[in-house]
Amino acid sequence: MSGIARGRLAEERKVWRKNHPHGFVARPETTSDGTLNLMTWHCSIPGKKDTDWDGGFYPLTMLFSEDYPSKPPKCKFPVGFFHPNIYPSGTVCLSILNEDTGWKPSITVKQILTGIQELLDAPNPSDPAQTDAYQLFVQDRKEYDRRVRQQALKYPPAI
Amino acid sequence: MASKAERDAIKVAKVLMVGAGGIGCELLKTLVMSGFQDIELIDMDTIEVSNLNRQFLFRKKHVGQSKAQVAREAVLKFRPDAKIVAHHANVKDPQFDIDFIKRFTVVLNGLDNVEARRHVNRLCLAAGVPLVESGTTGYVGQADVHIKGRFTCFECYPPPPPKSFPTCTITNTPSQPVHCIVWAKELPFAKLFGEAGLANDLDMRSDDQAEEPLEEDTNWHRVKENETPTAYACRVFDKVFGHNVAKTLEMDDLWKNRQRPKPLYIDEVLPETSEPPAKRPRTEGANAGDEERSVSAASNLGLRDTNQVWSLQENARVFLESVRLFLEERASEIGSLRFDKDDTLAVEFVTSASNLRDISFGIQTQSLFAAKGIAGNIVHAIATTNAIVAGMIVIEATKIVTGQMDKLKTHWCEQFLRRKMLLWSIDPNPPNPKCYVCSDTPLFLEVDTNKATLGEVLQKIVKKKLAVVSPMVLFGNSILYETGDDLDEDEQRSYAANAAKVLSQFPTPIGHNSLVSIDDSQQDFRCTLHIVHRDVFDEEKEPDMMVLRGEIPAVKAGEGTANGTEAAEDDDDDLTIIDNAVQEVDAVQETSAKAGKRKRDEEDGDHGSRKKRLPEEKETEDVDTGVIDLL
Repeated sequence: MSGIARGRLAEERKVWRKNHPHGFVARPETTSDGTLNLMTWHCSIPGKKDTDWDGGFYPLTMLFSEDYPSKPPKCKFPVGFFHPNIYPSGTVCLSILNEDTGWKPSITVKQILTGIQELLDAPNPSDPAQTDAYQLFVQDRKEYDRRVRQQALKYPPAI
Repeated sequence: MASKAERDAIKVAKVLMVGAGGIGCELLKTLVMSGFQDIELIDMDTIEVSNLNRQFLFRKKHVGQSKAQVAREAVLKFRPDAKIVAHHANVKDPQFDIDFIKRFTVVLNGLDNVEARRHVNRLCLAAGVPLVESGTTGYVGQADVHIKGRFTCFECYPPPPPKSFPTCTITNTPSQPVHCIVWAKELPFAKLFGEAGLANDLDMRSDDQAEEPLEEDTNWHRVKENETPTAYACRVFDKVFGHNVAKTLEMDDLWKNRQRPKPLYIDEVLPETSEPPAKRPRTEGANAGDEERSVSAASNLGLRDTNQVWSLQENARVFLESVRLFLEERASEIGSLRFDKDDTLAVEFVTSASNLRDISFGIQTQSLFAAKGIAGNIVHAIATTNAIVAGMIVIEATKIVTGQMDKLKTHWCEQFLRRKMLLWSIDPNPPNPKCYVCSDTPLFLEVDTNKATLGEVLQKIVKKKLAVVSPMVLFGNSILYETGDDLDEDEQRSYAANAAKVLSQFPTPIGHNSLVSIDDSQQDFRCTLHIVHRDVFDEEKEPDMMVLRGEIPAVKAGEGTANGTEAAEDDDDDLTIIDNAVQEVDAVQETSAKAGKRKRDEEDGDHGSRKKRLPEEKETEDVDTGVIDLL
């Protein structure tokens, strides 16, 4: 048990509870025994207004390790999530989540979530993570956009 | 050298040594030779053959016995008057609690893993006992003094964790041998022989492409009906080195500024492949386990020199042969194998697979020995470094027990001369005021854990005594309790239920020696409650039926605590890692036999490679903190 990871996550939790961007959800998972597990957070990212992603609330799981915040959390959408930079397993491929390129221990949960929200509508074709969405994105933008809108309907707002 | 008073202080000092391995053996010997006479040592390990080249208190006949006990006996032979108590046990065992640690003048660590170091660090902080921490990695070593409130604790400035590689590089654009070795371990090896169903990000082809179902594709790594092992090996070869590489070539953007890889197909590499080498008869009466572990593709093919770099064809043959051998000789293990650097066949498979990928991508190929070193993260331990570091520890321990606290130093030794010096000493750094671990004030809560509820503790202690406005209760990695209007309904329900629970009734029971952290959501206040179980209370004098001991910390003004955030980016005193480049030290072969454990957990010290950065060599670190650049 690392006091560092836990201490930082308790701090993130405090900060998030005080103030967080509208429409976003981020909370440690409630386990069956009635406690909240700080190492796994269930989040929801709203699609940006006036984009094909708008209207969707995309569920994301953040998995923190004992090495956090030296190492970034692993961020996962549901398996098979349609996006050029999301692996088939759902894992997000993003520079700020990569300890070799953009990760810094000072990056907050809020910054990660808004960063991923940005990524949704602004994929990076030079770093593809799945063939499906990547190929449509570069070869058939119309079909790509249609799939994105279709996916947005799959994730309506909670309640 | 030492005065009579100092010699007496050394004689009566009670020393706890944690770890009787590489550093520990040297340390125990140096301690008794320096006059220390009252020593307890803890080590949970038993002696292995691979320890004997540097842990000089052990001999071949001791293999399999307790390190702590054998080290004690060996030292008593030349210092029979020393009082040495050996514990063949884990330092994390509950018997080694704060009260145990308090019996000692100083604690000396010679540990091999971060978890145990953190644990001892916390015990020493809570007990208020000075700790000398140490570590070595190859030629590099360090000894550090940690005293609560005076110097840094072990966790004030955490060293960067061992490097891992970005998935994108590993999957699509490798540029160094290590990328291909990581790929070989995590993709073909894990996929073919490892546990099924583990989500693997490296497997980029989606399994559920609704548009064009590729039935065949998803099970490419399984043997088909009526497929011979060699045919299977050839099909896998074409898939991972041919088809998959060809597939990434389709992503044009990737190759705009990179050399395009070349797919390899078995028919082109080995046009004559067909017959597997004649099967060797099993040795009669040989131990089945040994037999399995001793199968080797390279020796079947006559490639016995582990320092030789194989050709393309040789790599292809080793790959096919190792797959065949796994299927034919070790079929029962398939589906549960984990890469182990001491598993010859696994290392051969990974070496050949990574070399084939190296060739595809125009990267330098590696010998089996070099690839094994990279794959197993091996840095060879050096006895001399351990001896030097043990000496440094004793120098500091001596100062502590003789009260020369103003003379304490941090020492380290380098692999190469730096300003004509190999050994360095500087004043220890003051504690990180924002450290989550040592800036915390320990408080002791005496309570009947079988009767008191969390709610009672919150009411009588946390709110009344600690004046916490909006408590957040943390235990392990769980939040047990929070309050506030912003909480979701289900959270409020869970917390109300938790408040009604008796401490010992939690899923992970809160009992004697448990550490419960209290944080205030409304203000900057944190503390840790050390739970002390007590059955009987004096109802008149202790009406709360619980007693809080210790100094209550003040609410801090300003920012919160942080390790690894702003603190780590302050460049004047942080610890850096010397890149754990794999060092092949011919003279001192790494022979550890511990299976499957990472290097950082088994050498004589992972954080040994931490070292102080010299003041003159400050680097300007990137200090912008909030900018997010996308990809």
